Amino acid sequence: MTRAFALLNDKRVRDWLYQIALVLGLLALTVFFVRNASENMVKAGIASGFDFLWRNSGIDVPFVLTGYTRADNILSLFWTGVANTMLVTVVAIVLATLLGFVVGIARLSSHWLLSTVAGAYIEFVRNIPLLFFVLFWYFGVIAALPGPRDSLGIFGVAFLNNRGLTIPLPDAPANFRIAAFVILASWAAQWLAVRWARRRKERSGQDAPVLAIGVLLILVVPALAITWASLATRWDIPVLRGFNYRGGFVVIPEFVALLAALVTYTAGFIAEIVRGGIQAVPHGQTEAASALGLRPRRILTLVTIPQALRVMIPPLTNQYLNVLKNSSFGAAIAYPDVVSLFMGSALNNTGQAIEIIAMTLAVYLVIGLAVSAFMNWYNARIALVTR
Amino acid sequence: MTPATLPLWRRRLFGTPATGIVTLLLGLLLAWIAIPIIRWALVDATWMGSTREDCQAGGACWVFIRARFGQFMYGLYPVEERWRADLAGIAFVLGIAGVVFAPARLRLKAAIAMLVVLPPLGIWLLSGGFGLRHVETREWGGLMLTLFISVYASLIAIPLGILLALGRQSELRIVRLISVLFIEFWRGVPIIAVIFLASLLLPLILPGGIGIDRLARAVIGLGLVIAAYMAEAVRGGLQALPPGQREAATALGLTYWKATGLVILPQALRISLPAMTNEFIALVKNTTLVLVVSILDLLGIAQASLADPNWVGMNMEAYVFSGSIYWLICFALSRWSRHLETLGRRMHR
Repeated sequence: MTRAFALLNDKRVRDWLYQIALVLGLLALTVFFVRNASENMVKAGIASGFDFLWRNSGIDVPFVLTGYTRADNILSLFWTGVANTMLVTVVAIVLATLLGFVVGIARLSSHWLLSTVAGAYIEFVRNIPLLFFVLFWYFGVIAALPGPRDSLGIFGVAFLNNRGLTIPLPDAPANFRIAAFVILASWAAQWLAVRWARRRKERSGQDAPVLAIGVLLILVVPALAITWASLATRWDIPVLRGFNYRGGFVVIPEFVALLAALVTYTAGFIAEIVRGGIQAVPHGQTEAASALGLRPRRILTLVTIPQALRVMIPPLTNQYLNVLKNSSFGAAIAYPDVVSLFMGSALNNTGQAIEIIAMTLAVYLVIGLAVSAFMNWYNARIALVTR
Repeated sequence: MTPATLPLWRRRLFGTPATGIVTLLLGLLLAWIAIPIIRWALVDATWMGSTREDCQAGGACWVFIRARFGQFMYGLYPVEERWRADLAGIAFVLGIAGVVFAPARLRLKAAIAMLVVLPPLGIWLLSGGFGLRHVETREWGGLMLTLFISVYASLIAIPLGILLALGRQSELRIVRLISVLFIEFWRGVPIIAVIFLASLLLPLILPGGIGIDRLARAVIGLGLVIAAYMAEAVRGGLQALPPGQREAATALGLTYWKATGLVILPQALRISLPAMTNEFIALVKNTTLVLVVSILDLLGIAQASLADPNWVGMNMEAYVFSGSIYWLICFALSRWSRHLETLGRRMHR
C-alpha cells in the first residue's frame, strides 16, 4: 500500500497515469459517439460501408472536366468534384500570385499615390468576408452582365455574358500534347543548365549566361511552342446562333465568379506577404552589396530576392493551402466542387453522412499534408546554413 | 525651382516626369472607377421615401435599407422583443468594460464572474423562457446573429485553444501527439465543410432523442475550428517566452498549473493578443458561412432580401450596406490588433 503511494511521488509515474487517463477518457467518448451513431443509423435504415460508391449517381453536373455523365457511378462523381476543386484552385493561385506581387510591390513604391492606392486595396479586401466577394461577383456583377446577344467580346474570340464565359476550344488536342512535351523538355533542360553552370562556377569561377539561357528555355521556347500549336490547330470559335453561343467551351458563371472572388481576396493577403518579405531584408544587405561594387540589378537578383523569398515562401504556402480550402466557398453559389457535389448532392441522395464526410475531408487533408511535406523539404534545402 | 522648394504634395505627385506620368495615369483610373460609384451612391441616390416607387433618380435606392434596417440588424426576431437583443448587447459591453476598468487586483475575479454570468444571461435574454417569451433560433438573424455566433464560438475557441497550445508544448508525449493531431486536422479542412459536418454529424453521434439546435451545431463547429487556429496564435506567445520562466517557477515549488496560470499564461497571452485578435477577425468573417445551413446572419439576410418581390434589383444596395458593416467591424479590430502589437513592442524595449 505504502509502496503504491510512494510510486505516486515519482513524477514520471504520475505523468504516465495522467496520459493513460486522458487516452481512456477519449476512447470512452469515441465509443459513446460511435455507438450512438450506429444506433441512429440503424433507426434511419442506413447501412454503413462504401458500397454506395458503385451505385448509379443520376446527378447532373453542369461543369465537367472528366467526361462524367449522370449514368456513371458515385465514385466518378467524387473525382469530378475533386477535378473542379483543383481547377479553380490552381487557376486562382496563379492569378492571385500575379496580382498579389503587383499590389505588394506597388505598396512599397516610392510613388505616394501608387502606394496609397495599393494600401487601400489591401485594407479593403482583407477586412471583408470572402463569402461576400463570392456572392457579390455572382449576384452583383455576373448577373448584371448583358445577355448573350450583347456579350462583351474579348478580341472577338471569347465572350463574357450572364451565362458565363465562352472560350474557343481547339479541335484537335494532339498539337497541344506535343507542345506540352516540348515545354517540359525545355524546363528539364533549364534545370540541367543551371546545374552545369553552378558546377562550372565552382570549378573555374566563370559565370555562365544563366539568365539568358533561362529566359530562352523557361519563357521563349514554351511561348513559341504554344504559338505553333495554336496556329497549327483549327479552333472552334464560338458564334452567336439565335439566343446563345454555339461551339467553344462554356466556362460556367459560377466558376468565373468564384475565381474572381478568390483572386481579388487572396491577392490582398499575398501583397502583404510580398511587402513583408521585401522589407524583412535589412537595408545593410543592399548597402553592403553596393559597397562591394554590385550593380543595382545584381543586388536585386543576388541579394534581395533570394533573402526575401526565404521569408515569403512559408506564408505563401499557407495562403495557397487557404485558396484550396476556400475554393469550397463555391458551394454557396453551387459551383460543382467536391464539397457541393459530394457533401451536398451525393449526401442528399444516399444519406451516407459519415463515409461522404470522411472522403471529402480526406481530399483536403491529403493535399495539405503533401504540400506541407514538400514545403518542409524545400525549406530545409534553402534554409541558412549556420555554424 | 528645385524640387525641394516645391510644396509637399507637388513633390510627391509631380516631383519627376516619371512620377507625374504615373500620377496622371492612376488619377484617370481612379476617376474612371470612383466617379460612377460616387454618382450612384451619393449624387443620384434616393434617401427618403418608403417604397420602391420613390426611387426614380436612377442611383442607389437607400430607401430599401431604411425599410429593412430592422431586419438587417435583428433578422426575423419579433419586433416587440428586440429590446432583449439590445439589452444583451449592452450587458456584454458593460461586462467587458467592467473587467477592463476594474482595479488590477479585482480584474481576474471580475473576468471569471463575467464569464460565468454573461453567456447564460445572453442566451436567456435572446431565446427566452423563465418569464420571457420563447423565440426560436430560426427567427434570429442579421448583425445580432453575426455578433452572437462570433462571441459564443470564441467562448469555445479561446479556452480550448489555450489548452491545445499548452498541450502542444507539453512534455507529456501522448498529450502532445493528441493536441497536434487535433490542431492539424481542424486547420487542414475547409470551414464550410466543418459547418456541414457539424450540422450533419452532431445529431448523429449524440444519443437519439437529444435534439441539438441548428444554430448551436454551427457555433460548435466554428468553435472547434477556430480553437485550432487560436491554439497556433497562443503557441506563438508561449514560444516567445524564455524557458527560464517556467524553470524558475518550478524551482520556486509551483505546480504545473500554478506556474502556467501565474507565470506563463499572463505573459504569453499578452504577447499573442494581437494574433488572437486576428483570429477573431477571421472568425467574424467566417460566421458568414452559416449561410450554407440556411442560418441568416447579416450577409444571409442581405442575400435573402434580394428575393423580395417588392424590392427587385436591390443587389448592390444590400451588398454595399452589409459589406460596409463587416468592413467597419474588421477594420476597427485590425487597427486595434496593430495598436496592441506596437504597444507590446514598445514594452519589450
